[in-house]
Amino acid sequence: MTGTMKNIRKILLTMLLALVVGSVFILAIGENPLAAYSALFRGAFSSKRAFGTTLASFTPLLLTSTAFAVAAKGGAFNVGVEGEVFLGGITAAYIGIHWTFLPKPLLLIACFLGAAVVGAVWALIPGFLKAVYNVNEVCVTILMNSVALYITSYLVSGPMSAGLANAQSDPVQVTLPNFLKPSNANAGLFIAIILVVLIMIMLNKTTIGYKIRTVGSNPLHAEYAGTNPKKVFIGTMMLSGAIGGIAGCIEVLGVYGYFLNNFAYNLGTNGMLASLIVKNNIAFAPFMAFFLAVLKSGAMGMQQNTGVPKSIIDTITAVFIIIATMELLFQFAKKQKKKTAKKKQEA
Amino acid sequence: MNLGNIFSISLIYATIRSATPIIYAALCAAITQQADILNIGTEGIMLTGAFAAVAVSYMSGSWLLGIAVAMLAGLVMAGIMAIGHIRYKAEICAIGMGINLFALAITKFMLNVIFDKSGTFSDPAISPIPRIHIPFLSEVPVLKELLEDWAITEWFVIVLILLLTFVLYKTRWGLRLRAVGQFPLAAQTAGINVNKMKYQAILISGLIGGLAGAHLSLGYSQMFTENMTSNRGFMGVAAMYFGGAHPVLTAVGCLVFGFADSIGARLQAYGMPSQFVLLMPYVVTIIILSISMVSKKMAEKKKKSSLIAIHAK
Repeated sequence: MTGTMKNIRKILLTMLLALVVGSVFILAIGENPLAAYSALFRGAFSSKRAFGTTLASFTPLLLTSTAFAVAAKGGAFNVGVEGEVFLGGITAAYIGIHWTFLPKPLLLIACFLGAAVVGAVWALIPGFLKAVYNVNEVCVTILMNSVALYITSYLVSGPMSAGLANAQSDPVQVTLPNFLKPSNANAGLFIAIILVVLIMIMLNKTTIGYKIRTVGSNPLHAEYAGTNPKKVFIGTMMLSGAIGGIAGCIEVLGVYGYFLNNFAYNLGTNGMLASLIVKNNIAFAPFMAFFLAVLKSGAMGMQQNTGVPKSIIDTITAVFIIIATMELLFQFAKKQKKKTAKKKQEA
Repeated sequence: MNLGNIFSISLIYATIRSATPIIYAALCAAITQQADILNIGTEGIMLTGAFAAVAVSYMSGSWLLGIAVAMLAGLVMAGIMAIGHIRYKAEICAIGMGINLFALAITKFMLNVIFDKSGTFSDPAISPIPRIHIPFLSEVPVLKELLEDWAITEWFVIVLILLLTFVLYKTRWGLRLRAVGQFPLAAQTAGINVNKMKYQAILISGLIGGLAGAHLSLGYSQMFTENMTSNRGFMGVAAMYFGGAHPVLTAVGCLVFGFADSIGARLQAYGMPSQFVLLMPYVVTIIILSISMVSKKMAEKKKKSSLIAIHAK
């Protein structure tokens, strides 16, 4: 069995096990798991609107999971994607509202660039601290997520407020075209796909990508071979931050049309989940992001049509991740080989 | 602005009050760090403990039972992490974050299912951890403000700090645990069962983490809110880095966070936007964490350069 096949088998088995654990919880509250899962599936696919909603929630997850995976390839555990989404979003909103002297196409580009730059700078802080002073990046990025949330929350309820009951900014002057109306699916999906494909090519086919992967897997070797691992590490974090910022920009320009307080809640976390489940494999992460998007968008339908609260979905995905992180689970082949080897020895 | 109103005697208790939950969390992280395991799951263990404590205290009317079950819940969460990390070689950051997300989801789910609530659960029937009233102190002016009405767990944290310091640095078990953390191969050669020590460290940290949660929901407050730990677990981990996993120094780090928190709460009365007050503890944590790592790095450099000087001779 090849490595890829093995990976796929493991992911499928993990998925199955997580759904089984979820069924146990659903049974425990006296509901029918099959009915719940089918309601979930219908909630995600049954109508044009439902499918559009699934695609709309897939878009940011695709980017955040890639952002996490890129950082992981360079050896960083970047939990801070969520903060980068927030700050990218607020930057896009600011540029989209105030830089109206630019013609529309340029304004659109400015929004994306601004969001990417701010996301990258935000990720530079933990990247620098980790690379130079070995400050644990998990701690710093998680705490910085809260800081980013409060900064944006202050901005949209203070200086950038639209003065409405909800904390939100004025509408932006440039938006991404929607499709599959009345859902929120928008052209950002295609931008995201193109971006992810470009990043995949960069990681696997270019020198920079090779450097990132070497630093991630063996920084000492990288240094020996003449790469500065610190520089590459910081650069990888910034790339990851830029992708997160772009995710925020797409959400603001494509889904809402303005900056809504706390809009990115859990976007970064779920992207991290998707990436972690597939062991930060950039080619698999999009599929897992899609699976999570189906779960998320179907959850509402499930809650409405059966008595199962949608918080079960978070429970299932969390179980999923715990099982998926256990490297040695489901390695039947190895165990059997060991056993046969032992038998041979005994014989 | 009247500085006297901000820096008054009561600030000392306010600092201790907001530091205590973080101290428990930091101790939870410190004990595994001694075995060289970074306990990212502190947050999740604590949150599960907080929920279990409120649920049991509400149903049984006994805060003591609440604490016991909270510690048990922490033990279970830590157990999952221990088995995943040691037996199935899960990467500790990954499974730790998994535990955190699981705790967040399962407490939310249980809140929906058991209490039919979402967001917050508070009820007068939740029996809180009692506060200790020392009768003769109410006569003494300064001490009265300082020591009156501490929750039992606020006193107990001092005991726990001293106890852990003693266990880690004065007992055979502590020596072995630190040996496992510093040089596992040597420890193994010396006949120490490395995995067994690691299991023990994680499980004990689960008990402490559960207690941390119980204090947060029954001592610090008297309710359960979704994600009520709000990154206190990670602040604990940061404080653990600050203190180099030594219980006393770690607790000192937590007091700094507690100080920032309570100063912020007072500044809010003077027109400071609430978001700045809320983000202050996080910023202070990041800064302190960075400073402690920078100074550690400098100390290492100094040691290295003096070694080179000796060699040069």
